[in-house]
Amino acid sequence: MSDSLMAPAGGGSAAGPQKSGRGLLLGAYFDFIRIRFLTMLAYRVNYYSGILIYTLNIGVNYFTWKAIYGGGESLGGFTGAQMTTYVAVSWMARAFYFNNLDREISTDIRDGSIAIQFIRPYNYVLVKMMQGLGEGLFRFLMLMIPGMAIAMLLFPVQLPTELSSWAGFLTMLFFSFLINSQINVLTGLSAFFVENNEGVMRMKRVIVDLFSGLIVPISLFPGWLSKVLEVLPFQAITYLPGSVFTGRVQGTGIWSVLGIQVIWFLILLLPIIALYRAARKRLFVQGG
Amino acid sequence: MYYLGLLGEYLKNYMKTRLTYRADFWVEIVSDLLFQAVNFIFILVIFMHTDSLGGWSQNEVIFVYGFFMVPYGIFGCFINLWGFSERYIVKGEMDRVLTRPAHNLFQIFLENVDPPALAGSLIGIVVMIISGGNLGLSLEWWTLPALVLLSVSAVAIYTGIYTALTSLSFYSDAPTGILPLMYNIQSYGRYPVTIYNRAIQVLLTWVIPFAFVGVYPAALFLEREEMRSMALLTPAVGAVFLTVGLLSWNHGVRKYKGAGS
Amino acid sequence: MNAIEVQDLRKTFKVQKNREGLKGAFADLFKRQYSEVTAVKDIHFTIPQGEICGYIGENGAGKSTTIKMLTGILVPTSGSVKVGGYVPYLERERFVQEIGVVFGQRSQLWWDIGVIESFQLLRKVYRVPEQDFRKRLDELVERLALQDLLNRPVRKLSLGQRMRCELVAALLHNPAILFLDEPTIGLDIVVKSEIRDFLRDMNREHGTTILLTTHDLQDIEALCSRVIMLDDGRIIYDGGLEELKQRWGTGVEVQFQFGTPTKLPQLEQWSAEMPVSWTAENELGAKVWIPRDLNVSDLLAKVVGKADITDIKIIETNTDDIVRSIYQSGSAEKPAEQTAADQDGKEAVHV
Repeated sequence: MSDSLMAPAGGGSAAGPQKSGRGLLLGAYFDFIRIRFLTMLAYRVNYYSGILIYTLNIGVNYFTWKAIYGGGESLGGFTGAQMTTYVAVSWMARAFYFNNLDREISTDIRDGSIAIQFIRPYNYVLVKMMQGLGEGLFRFLMLMIPGMAIAMLLFPVQLPTELSSWAGFLTMLFFSFLINSQINVLTGLSAFFVENNEGVMRMKRVIVDLFSGLIVPISLFPGWLSKVLEVLPFQAITYLPGSVFTGRVQGTGIWSVLGIQVIWFLILLLPIIALYRAARKRLFVQGG
Repeated sequence: MYYLGLLGEYLKNYMKTRLTYRADFWVEIVSDLLFQAVNFIFILVIFMHTDSLGGWSQNEVIFVYGFFMVPYGIFGCFINLWGFSERYIVKGEMDRVLTRPAHNLFQIFLENVDPPALAGSLIGIVVMIISGGNLGLSLEWWTLPALVLLSVSAVAIYTGIYTALTSLSFYSDAPTGILPLMYNIQSYGRYPVTIYNRAIQVLLTWVIPFAFVGVYPAALFLEREEMRSMALLTPAVGAVFLTVGLLSWNHGVRKYKGAGS
Repeated sequence: MNAIEVQDLRKTFKVQKNREGLKGAFADLFKRQYSEVTAVKDIHFTIPQGEICGYIGENGAGKSTTIKMLTGILVPTSGSVKVGGYVPYLERERFVQEIGVVFGQRSQLWWDIGVIESFQLLRKVYRVPEQDFRKRLDELVERLALQDLLNRPVRKLSLGQRMRCELVAALLHNPAILFLDEPTIGLDIVVKSEIRDFLRDMNREHGTTILLTTHDLQDIEALCSRVIMLDDGRIIYDGGLEELKQRWGTGVEVQFQFGTPTKLPQLEQWSAEMPVSWTAENELGAKVWIPRDLNVSDLLAKVVGKADITDIKIIETNTDDIVRSIYQSGSAEKPAEQTAADQDGKEAVHV
């Protein structure tokens, strides 16, 4: 990660030599993952309803597509079987990468508790990412895997047979999480500059679901729209990993779609750093 | 009468608050419209690849969507339970609500009125008029009264479901995140439910009856015979679910634990 | 007539137990364990109309839980509550018309709009006729000097200003019973005493019954004729403030300054037949502890004239000390070995 994002972290090294200070800090970040994981476990109602609702989402989308396919062979390069797999894996991937960092951050900003977070010897954005990762790991292990198993029982989902597809998909899934969280962080930090960013957050939510290819695979959009979407970061969240999992992208192609994700990850760092700096300045110069 | 007076007073205060943050008002309207537009794109994309969805034409599906928007906008305006758990339970504002001489749930509705949501209802009516015109639907004597009755019933269904779900936060120590998840599900009621398999149809009809806020009542205006009886059932379903919602709410309030010590 | 009647009142909460560690958390996901916490344990008291009663106790003693049951917010687990003739939780909406509630830590006013708008809205909520409202508002505004604040949004008010507005908000409908949960928390001394004066006047003029919880015992001294003290869900003292002092104010401390060095054994010898205890601060200073049943003048008579005294200071134990030592012992029953225990208690606090 960028040095400037790490900058406030250096302050916490009173414990001794620089290296052990860093080590302690790293441990602290891992703790944020662990604590969030445990917190998620405590929300029992959410957990059970989550499994049910994700399964229902897959079911509804599966039947909708089945109705759309009718007797047709292939739509936008997807066969019916591929579409089923795509729908299932996309929703399950969403279970992993989805988080409410935007809402958490803007709540912190609006009730003023962000000021306390900013003077702590760690990087606020990084801590949020770690908490998101804790949540993601929980959802991956507890929601996505059992959910996928249920989906396979109910619907004709085909798992990839190639090892490279599995490896590619899992790596890309991690980047999906990163990119989606970056977008969430950006949306959340916008609360610094708009009095009430509820509208922005809602808009983001809908746009990510539609333009990432969760509801409609990108290749099914009208030509001009899919051209536009291919140069936006959203497709990197769902559509690209989904394409790898369904086997539409194979072999060396995996490297290039992974490359797109990495590039978007790096590009999105820039506005985060800029916003973060502006936010700090605003907080400390204008007092919130 | 008392409650109508209160509604007026709360709306007045809402406007006064909003005038201090004028930009937000427009941001919210625009984001609401964009939200609808995005859903609309989905329908358009689907019909680029097929002529009919389970025997329903594009105009019919769009008409259903238009109808769906009307009660949804009304619901969004007057019954806004997002963040109930954080605001009223965790931060303890429920204490204050309970020491006022008006029904607590009603006070919560009033404190969260959100008039921009009504813009969606207006657009829904426009969408119905346009797609209805394309389909050659005619305006009968019963059309408007039925529209009002069915919209009110649909609002009652939403209110019942969301009130019942929200009342869970009186029992559970953890703030629940079910509401956002429901959000996805309710949109499934605006497609012809006959395309789904039996289990999902039953679920959307009798368990979380979102089919009654979209496709069933709209079918009445589209003169689709197969769903007419379902459409006529909408008010009854509305009454039942509203009752269930209110009962579970009142029961939940008795279990309210308060925040802190 | 009694404003508040409470009998065998009990409130039990079910609290979920979180098992430790990852394994525990997983176990909780499938089978949750609960434990019961009884916040209020079969308490029993009555408050007659027109009384100002202080309800005190340490954090977590059950004060707020009681207040919330009295105001209809919480439903009691068992026992009976009657406030102003109502069972609060049964007819909540009719009942709350008769009471006013102020939670010191939470606002009941709208944050973004002028204070007056909040009042107007509350007028509608409580169905106060316009004329009565005007009259009452003018009265309150004048009494609390709020004229200049009425059009300011709440978020622009200082805590003291806000608190005065909160009081108005709670009193617009002229309630017969007023509940105050830490009304002076966080306020400066001037505002505190303003609020105390106001409450006292209101009690005198309108006969309003007031029940207040507080951690500031000066509130109690200034306002309350009666104190109910709670510890761990039980009432450990219920009676007059004076009586409390009588019973618990275990004695008087007298400090002496001497012109010439005076030794401790010498002092002890002079007062040999009295059960007092001396401590020396230095050669020129000493203090003596005199139990309440002895006369201070008797002791003074023994010392004055023998020693070369330059200054005498008599220190009465104040309510703070009394309450502190009751909290520490957890009971208002006067302990047998009071003097020693109390002395220790005091020491411990000062360390």
